[in-house]
Amino acid sequence: MRKLLLLGMTLSISSWMLAQQKINYVEYDLPNGIHVILHEEHATPIVAVSVLYHVGSKNEISDRTGFAHFFEHLLFEGSVNIERGEYSKLVEKNGGTLNANTSQDRTFYYEILPSNQLELGLWLESERMLHAKVDIKGIETQRSVVKEEKRQRVDNQPYGSFFTEMFKRVFPVHPYNWAPIGSMEHLDAAQEDDYVNFYKNYYVPCNATLSIAGDLNIEQTKKWIDKYFGSMPKGEAVNLYRDFINLDEDSFQKRYAISKSKFYQKDFLKSTDSEAKKLIAAYSAKQIVIKRTSKDNSTLKAMTKDVIEDNIELPGIFMGYKFPEQTNPDAYALEMMNEVLSGGSSSRINKTIVEKKQMASFAFSFNYSLEDAGIGIFAAIASKDIALDDIQKEFDIQIETIKQELISEEEFQKIRNKVENNLVSANSSIAGIAENLADSHVYFGNANRVNSLMENYMKVTREDIQRVAKKYLTQDARVILHYVPKAK
Amino acid sequence: MKNQVIIASILLSGISFGQIDRSVRPTPAQAKKIELKDSEVFTTANGITVILSENHKLPRVSFDLSMGSDSKIEGEKAGLSDMVGALIMSGTSNRTKDELDKEIDFIGASLSADRNAISLSCLTKHMDKGLTLMKDVLLNTSFPESEFARIKKQNEDALLSAKSDAGTMAQNATVKVNFPGHPYSDVMNETTLKNISREDVINYYKSNFTPDGAYLVVVGDINRAQAEEMASKYLGDWKGGKKYVATFPEAAMPEGNQVTFVKKRGAVQSVVYVTFPVNMKTGDVNQLPSTVLNGILGGGGFGTRLMQNLREDKAYTYGCYSSMNITEYGSWMSAGGNFRNAVTDSAITQILKEFELITTEIVKDEEINLTKASQAGGFARSLESPSTIARFALNTIRYNLPKDYYQNYLQKLEAVSKDDILSMSKKYFTASNCNIIVVGNEEILDKIKQFDSDGKVTILDEFGNTYIDITPADISKEQLISNYLLAVTKSASMKELNKKLKKIKSVERVSEMSGSQMPMTLKFFNYYIAPTTEATALEFQGNKMPLTFFDGKSGYTSAPMASKKDMTAEEIAKKKKDAGLFQEMNYITHKVNYSLEGIQNENDVEYYVIKIVDGETESYDYYNRKTFMKEKSLTITKEGDKTNESTQVYSDFKEVNGILFPHTLSMNMGPMILSGQVTKVEVNGKPDMKIFKK
Repeated sequence: MRKLLLLGMTLSISSWMLAQQKINYVEYDLPNGIHVILHEEHATPIVAVSVLYHVGSKNEISDRTGFAHFFEHLLFEGSVNIERGEYSKLVEKNGGTLNANTSQDRTFYYEILPSNQLELGLWLESERMLHAKVDIKGIETQRSVVKEEKRQRVDNQPYGSFFTEMFKRVFPVHPYNWAPIGSMEHLDAAQEDDYVNFYKNYYVPCNATLSIAGDLNIEQTKKWIDKYFGSMPKGEAVNLYRDFINLDEDSFQKRYAISKSKFYQKDFLKSTDSEAKKLIAAYSAKQIVIKRTSKDNSTLKAMTKDVIEDNIELPGIFMGYKFPEQTNPDAYALEMMNEVLSGGSSSRINKTIVEKKQMASFAFSFNYSLEDAGIGIFAAIASKDIALDDIQKEFDIQIETIKQELISEEEFQKIRNKVENNLVSANSSIAGIAENLADSHVYFGNANRVNSLMENYMKVTREDIQRVAKKYLTQDARVILHYVPKAK
Repeated sequence: MKNQVIIASILLSGISFGQIDRSVRPTPAQAKKIELKDSEVFTTANGITVILSENHKLPRVSFDLSMGSDSKIEGEKAGLSDMVGALIMSGTSNRTKDELDKEIDFIGASLSADRNAISLSCLTKHMDKGLTLMKDVLLNTSFPESEFARIKKQNEDALLSAKSDAGTMAQNATVKVNFPGHPYSDVMNETTLKNISREDVINYYKSNFTPDGAYLVVVGDINRAQAEEMASKYLGDWKGGKKYVATFPEAAMPEGNQVTFVKKRGAVQSVVYVTFPVNMKTGDVNQLPSTVLNGILGGGGFGTRLMQNLREDKAYTYGCYSSMNITEYGSWMSAGGNFRNAVTDSAITQILKEFELITTEIVKDEEINLTKASQAGGFARSLESPSTIARFALNTIRYNLPKDYYQNYLQKLEAVSKDDILSMSKKYFTASNCNIIVVGNEEILDKIKQFDSDGKVTILDEFGNTYIDITPADISKEQLISNYLLAVTKSASMKELNKKLKKIKSVERVSEMSGSQMPMTLKFFNYYIAPTTEATALEFQGNKMPLTFFDGKSGYTSAPMASKKDMTAEEIAKKKKDAGLFQEMNYITHKVNYSLEGIQNENDVEYYVIKIVDGETESYDYYNRKTFMKEKSLTITKEGDKTNESTQVYSDFKEVNGILFPHTLSMNMGPMILSGQVTKVEVNGKPDMKIFKK
């Protein structure tokens, strides 16, 4: 019997190797620090152009939250060469689509275009990176739009505030304390200068990863990248250039003790005046130091239990545990642990809490992994007349079981098969590939991680799963939120 | 040293960067031709149409089996098909649900079902195992009693959750107002859920899941020979009856703009949909140009009129979109989004303005070009997913599209002109016959009344049914009835009332009623002969025809051109309960089962609501809280699975011989609406009752 099992295991490992398709790519750095990743495939005549800025809500200061996400909006407003409102039109009228998203760790912009419009996509992203419109008109409009977004996604959404409430308690010190949507009061209080400085600090070439995938020719693409991105000033020279564009003569003189007229308007770096040249050179040599946050290895010290009133009909319970950062070797085992608990209909939480005991209409757990730390969340929406404490007891039984008992060989095989299926599907679109490559480079310092994921998951043992459960599912140090209907 | 660094970097910067003029926008390279791979289509011996789209990029495959039957109206059992969908995966005669779930998860597959389909997706190497499970579900799903009870309970909870979700509430209201009497307006609620039995589920499954007319769409890492082998191996012995075929009435446009409001307590934003039915079906030649029209108005992207106006210019919202939903059974247009309370009315104004504009003015070149390019791009992008090609083939067969419909799609899209757009909007669009659905905080109700043509906002509940907001009554039911009887007879005491009624020997009433569905005015005659005789007649082609007759002991009903039907014992018993000039007089003597529900506010008037239950019939009488006059009666009768609802509204009360009679009436029976005036009320005259002789 044992032999058979072993044989089954080796067979499935080798088939895993077959199932994961290798993603080929080339990568390099531009002199100004932009990291470039290119993936070529011609199945469909489309191309995804993406830029990842390594800035998220964790880079905000505590009285100016919501800035990173706000910037995501602001950077659709236009640039020196793109009129207000024109950015998205340019993409759409050329048959493309675009969007962006912001997390605690990064802001990600992308266009998916017909492949003959690749150059347009590069120009658009380079305009955004070099000299986006950061002015009061755009700030005012987007402030209102963001407020509507918050109303729609958080305030008017049943249980919509649970993310914010959870992070606030699991991260009392680290800037994960606040959610990317941030505080509307902070956005109101911020001055134009605050916004300009955020742009100058984080939206700079050396903080960007340009990841392109799809129907492209690598050599031609490199040439265009040189043209639009390679031509951008290096180091602090990019901000010297931005001040040259945005400041009036007086302010510029005051800051740099040189007249704007010394610079060549059309091609800044080609300014011929010797003073101007000197200044550009000096600022080019001056590196921009991006303020990074540090990993949060602290643990929760006690159990926090709070009740939150919301416009809901059914109460809900949300439990949060402190998990490690996504680059931690334990991350793979935690992911597989979550598959055991909540992956698919046959998972433990669904089988017991939803189906057998019928205590909840939804019950699940998931890992929210971030650069500096993570959260393990357990959540359930109670069935009618079921007490939240009873659901918690059931969660606790499942947690105790996975800590005390090794999962069976059969269950282990099941989650390995599920992981395999998930990984095969993860790279089914070029936009997904561009994003996965960029994430792997930025967070793991290794774009090739996309090709070794399967291997990493396969190293996880049943004992690892039990070990991480014991280590991270700390029952006396967690956050428990009870969502209850507001009194009518 | 420092100087050297500077010089070096000047040199470097001079070398690395070529001349660039950023104000010059890149021009596109030669566009690549969009190539559509062909799908393969074949039919199995038992009547399944198989559509295969091969794609070997990833080692996975999917099988989507969908049924060919048409939708059914579920009415009193609304939600039945959802229950079926939720239960198909609940176990088979070979496998319990636990075993089934475990086996599916074990191969990392996804096997799911809905009311009309079963779908499998898995890695190619697990295909045989996956199809074994799919076949077991298809042929042997067993709907265990315990799972039925569990899913029913889960739905009860889901209905509770739906009550706090504004988006769901808005969708419910939308289908109810756009599609009355159509399967689209089947919305599950607590009552209809209760009505659904396990037998209903089994019967639905049996009649709907049949190979006749079914489609199997196979996509992914599999070849023709394998697909044929799989179809015959796993579906070859599937048998069943004929598919169900139905047609549904075309939805009618609302008369004027009609505002429908659903209350959501604590809402900080309103969900707004401005919507109307569209008379078009999938495959219509106008489908493509009207999709372009929708694209210009608000069909996705940031550049649309709605998005530019309501988000980018006015910042009323995070997103404002429109959608043109063209389907097999009925189509509708809808535009809206989420708007904060303070600007909800302004947002509606702007949406209607955009509707008006697009129906009156020709669109700009820039707009139509943008939309066409954007839709062409969307078409090209959709080809990245292997399932697209299969979907094209399925649509071509299912909706009888020309064989080259998708091959020529881009050319046809390119050919859509500005004039086409205007003629589409003139044909299908309106800014003055819209249903305006608002789900939000009660505080905005006053501000949205202005948009309703007749100033009467319809208030619906979370599931799109008439909203009943009842507060406890402040008097007893006996008190109410006596107050009503005193008021209607203008009496100061019961004694005076009895005296008055004794004097009444007969009443004859004539009313003339008309309705938009009626070619002519109908003249009704209504007789009362003391103490318990009642009769009605209709003037038909100049002749008076009896409709009903009851003399206190027996009676009959009759329809024009049809023979008389004697009342059954049951009907007689029922009739006895409300015989007399005022049925309320009988409530105590005949032990009528009546209760005072409370006070309900309707269009700013407060009513006491009396509920009367008589067997399968429920009726509600509305008494004005100030005057105590009965102004409305609503009767709900059940006939098997169907319910019939009829409403009568009385107004314009005038005194005749010391008694108040309504002189304006309206009746509402299902979709038929009649309204009119009472032209004659005669008390103690000499009514001619000859025509009622048996």
